[in-house]
Amino acid sequence: MKKALFFTGLLVFTISIALAQTGVKKRRPLPFEYGRVVINNYSETSHISPVVFDHWLHRAKFTCRICHVDIGFAMQTEVTDIRAADNINGYYCGTCHNGKDTFSSCKNDFTPKDSATCDRCHSLGKKIVKKYDFREFVKDWPRERLGNGVDWEKTEEQGLITPVDFIEGVSIKREKLADQADFELGAKVEGMPDILFSHRKHTIWNGCELCHPEIFIGIKKGITKYSMVDIYDGKYCGVCHKSVAFPLLDCQRCHTEEVR
Amino acid sequence: MRNIVRFTFISLLFLYFSHGNFIVDTLGSAYAQQDWKQEYADVCAKTQNAMTLSSAELKNHIERCDNLQERINELNGSQGKTEKKVYTKRLKMCRDLYDFALKYKEEK
Repeated sequence: MKKALFFTGLLVFTISIALAQTGVKKRRPLPFEYGRVVINNYSETSHISPVVFDHWLHRAKFTCRICHVDIGFAMQTEVTDIRAADNINGYYCGTCHNGKDTFSSCKNDFTPKDSATCDRCHSLGKKIVKKYDFREFVKDWPRERLGNGVDWEKTEEQGLITPVDFIEGVSIKREKLADQADFELGAKVEGMPDILFSHRKHTIWNGCELCHPEIFIGIKKGITKYSMVDIYDGKYCGVCHKSVAFPLLDCQRCHTEEVR
Repeated sequence: MRNIVRFTFISLLFLYFSHGNFIVDTLGSAYAQQDWKQEYADVCAKTQNAMTLSSAELKNHIERCDNLQERINELNGSQGKTEKKVYTKRLKMCRDLYDFALKYKEEK
């Protein structure tokens, strides 16, 4: 009888261990890691470390549209399918990293002497001292609680950054964007303040085609129904606000209206 | 002096008849290459104001995007392969926005 009890107990214990979740809680990224993207389309198969891309450095210098519309980087990691040849041909990273505007990305005539340059991007798993130190770079900028810990909007308003919105030979000469009106979006949960959506700010940084219709497909306001579950799943606002723009935990940044 | 001019003229004539097609083709393909990029820049320059375009203008832009995509699909070689990938994505965003604006207007 004791033996049977022992084995039943052992069986229950083994099954519960087997079925236990191995941990789904993710570590929240540190400010300098927030928005970091690892690109490994072909790196490891080419026996080189994957690329570690820091969004903070690039967003301080360029609008979202320059990279995601004019240069053509997809909004999801690794979907762009960047090859070294593309960079060498002067596209994607090679648009700016061409050896003239800034250090060159990828070369046909690679020599071991170039490895330090390669390591500037292909740095996953390596102890690389980056040229720009995050803390030093952002030390005088307005602070925010979450994400990078930087209030990017205020930083731009105060003239501490001036993101480039046109690259000669890459960007199209577009007509001036008409000022877009901000609008309210009702919260779905009772007691939760409504959202005042800053359409104006979003269009200045993104243009129109970055969001419509790829991210927001509905042609009329209110047609596309989405919830915070969808957003946390990386859809709609979550395309950017889950990983690069201020994070979803910062409820008050969007839910700003008074509770009715 | 006259002899030099005569010699240059005859040389040019010879060059034209022997390599004329090659020269014309090379210049033509270089022009064609720039031509599709210019068409892209022209057709996608209105994305900022897509909502203010008329339905007819939007339809015209969508058709031009579709025609341009066919030309982009023909690009080949290492440079062409890259350009095909980059411009297919860029053109799609622009075309889809015009289509989005057109549907909005038709719904209205």
